[in-house]
Amino acid sequence: MMIREGLSNRILLWAITLVGLIVIYAPPLYLLAVSFNPALQPGLPSLSDLSVQWYLALPKETALMAALQQSALIATVTAFLATGMALLAALAYFELRAQRTAWFLAVILPMFVPGVIQGLALSAVFTRTGIKASSLTVIGGHLLWAMPFAFIVILTSFAAVRRSYLVAASDLGATRWRQFVDITLPLIRPGLVSAFIFSFLLSLNEFTRAFYLAGRQNTLPVVLFGKMNSGASPVIYALSGAIFMVSVACVAFIAIRSVVAKATPGTGQERRS
Amino acid sequence: MAISIQIDHVSREYGPVKALDDVSIDIKAGEFFTLLGSSGCGKSSLLKLIGGFDRQTSGRVCFDGKDVGDLPANQRPVNTVFQNLALFPHMSVAQNVGYGLRLKGLSGSRLQVKIDDALDLVELTGFGARDVNLLSGGQRQRVALARALVMEPGILLLDEPLTGLDERLRQQMRDEFGRLHKRTGATFILVTHNQDEALSLSDRMAVMHKGRIEQMDVPARFFETPANAFVARFVGIDTLLHPQAVLVSGNHGAATIAGQTVQVRIAGPADPAASVVAIRPDRLFLAPPNTDAALRLCVSGTTFRGLHRDLRLAFGDGQTLMIAIDADMDIGELAIGQEVAIGLKPDAAVLISR
Repeated sequence: MMIREGLSNRILLWAITLVGLIVIYAPPLYLLAVSFNPALQPGLPSLSDLSVQWYLALPKETALMAALQQSALIATVTAFLATGMALLAALAYFELRAQRTAWFLAVILPMFVPGVIQGLALSAVFTRTGIKASSLTVIGGHLLWAMPFAFIVILTSFAAVRRSYLVAASDLGATRWRQFVDITLPLIRPGLVSAFIFSFLLSLNEFTRAFYLAGRQNTLPVVLFGKMNSGASPVIYALSGAIFMVSVACVAFIAIRSVVAKATPGTGQERRS
Repeated sequence: MAISIQIDHVSREYGPVKALDDVSIDIKAGEFFTLLGSSGCGKSSLLKLIGGFDRQTSGRVCFDGKDVGDLPANQRPVNTVFQNLALFPHMSVAQNVGYGLRLKGLSGSRLQVKIDDALDLVELTGFGARDVNLLSGGQRQRVALARALVMEPGILLLDEPLTGLDERLRQQMRDEFGRLHKRTGATFILVTHNQDEALSLSDRMAVMHKGRIEQMDVPARFFETPANAFVARFVGIDTLLHPQAVLVSGNHGAATIAGQTVQVRIAGPADPAASVVAIRPDRLFLAPPNTDAALRLCVSGTTFRGLHRDLRLAFGDGQTLMIAIDADMDIGELAIGQEVAIGLKPDAAVLISR
C-alpha cells in the first residue's frame, strides 16, 4: 500500500537520497572536471579554459594504451571463462543433492581469500612450477576472483527454472540436452548476462592479484597506480574520465533500449525466437 | 492410437515408506481410467511411473504388453497435463503447443497447421501469439491440454488438472475432458481426489489408500457394493453401522443393530465384528408412524443444506444414521429426541467388511 508520507518525511527521504547520490557521484565527476583542465596541477578548471588537450594526448601515451588494451583483453577472457565455469558449477549444484552446501561453499571460498594473499600464493606457486608470469597467469588469478560472484549471480537466476518445466519438456520428448538449450538457457539468460558484466568489471578493476601475477605487460590499474605515485601527468585523469564516460554511455544505452522496448511491446523482444 | 497399460505387482518404496504397495491394474486401450484417493495415497506416484518420471522398486509397467521399465519419459508415447501446468514462461502459446512437435522435427506450415488444429480443439483459436503468462487460469489449462494433445499420445495422463480452478471452470473443463476423450480415442488416466470428476468421466476407477488399491470397478459399483468401510466413506456413504448379529441366508440376510432388524445384502464377512452395514442415504425415506418394517429412531439433529435438509437420527445404542429430506418437506416440527419411522427401499443396506 502506498500511503502518502507526511511532508517532513518526504523531505527527509529526498535529502538522504540526494546525499547518497552526491557521495557516490561527486568524486568521479570531480575527476571528470579535472581531466578537462589544461593546467598541470589537478584542480577544477574555470569554464573559460576548458580543454580536451589531455584527451588528445591519450593515444600518444603508449604505456597507458598498452595497459588499457591488456586490461580489456584479460577482462574479456576472464568474463567468458568465469561465466562458462560458473554456469557449469551452478548446473552441478542442482545435480548434487545432499552435498549442495559443501559444493556451494567450495566454489565461493576464493571470494573470502584476501587478494594480497591469493596473489602472493599464486605467484609463489607459479614461480615454483616454472610457469612464467603472463596475461594467462593474471587471467588465472582473476578467474578465482570473479567466478564466485558469477556463480552466485547465475545461481540466483536459476530461480526462474522450475523443475516442473524440465519434467514437462521431457514429457514432450526433450532429451537432457534439449531441456538445457530450450528451457534452462533462455530462462537464465539475464543471469548469464549479469554474470558476464560482473566478471568483466571485477577483472578490469582488480589490482592486487594482477600486481603479483602480471608478466611484462601490466594491467591498467597497476600502471595507473604506478603513474600516480611517480608524479602523474594529467593524462591519467583523461583516461579515467574517458572510462567513466564510456560506462555512463553504456548504462544510458541500455536504459534507453529498455524504455523503447517497453513502449513498443512485441518488437525487439528476443522472446519470439 | 490408444495404448493399453498393464501394471503388474508394482511397488515403489522411498526408504521405509511404501508409496505403492503391490499394485496391479489392467487398463484397456481407449479407456478413461481414474485413480481416486486423498493426498498421499500413492495415486501420483503411480502416474509418475506410467509417465516415466520415476522408477518402481519392484514389479513391471507394460504398454500393450511390452515392458517399458527402461524407456525414459522422453521416449514414451505418453503425454501429461501437469497439476501445476508447467507452461514454458518464455514461449508464446503457439510455441508451447508446438514444442513437442518441433522436437520431432516438424516445422513450417505443417507445424502451424497442427498447432492451429490443437488450439481449435481446446477452443483457443487465434491465441497462438499470446503470452502464456497473461492468460486466465482456464485458458492456461487449455494450453496445457493442447500441448499434450497435439502430440497425439496413445496415453494422456491428467494429474489433478482441475485443482485451483473455480467451480464453474471446473465443470466446463471436466466436460471438455470427456469430449476430448471421445474425439481422440486415447487412453486417459485421470488422477484426482474429487469424486465428482471421477464419477462423471471414468469408464472405470480405482480408489487408492496408503499405496494400495481398495477397490477397482465401474463407478456405479462403488455405490452398490463398496469394498469396505473406507471406500464407502470415500464415496460419501457416511452411514456405517456396527451390527450386533448377522443372520445369513444366501446372499441376503438380516443384521441386528441396537435391537432392530435390518434386511441386508451380504457382500462381506458374516462375522459381526469384522463387518459394517452401509446404508445408502438415497434409499431411506420417512415412513408413516405405524409402518411395520421400519426402523424406529430418535431425531438427534437437523442441518439445512440448501436444496435438502440432513436429518440425523440415533439408534438406541447411540449409533447415528443420516437421511436427506426435502428442505421444505411438511413434516411439522421435529423435536430433538422425537421418535420417527424410517423405511428402507430395496437394496438400501449392504453388509461390507470393516
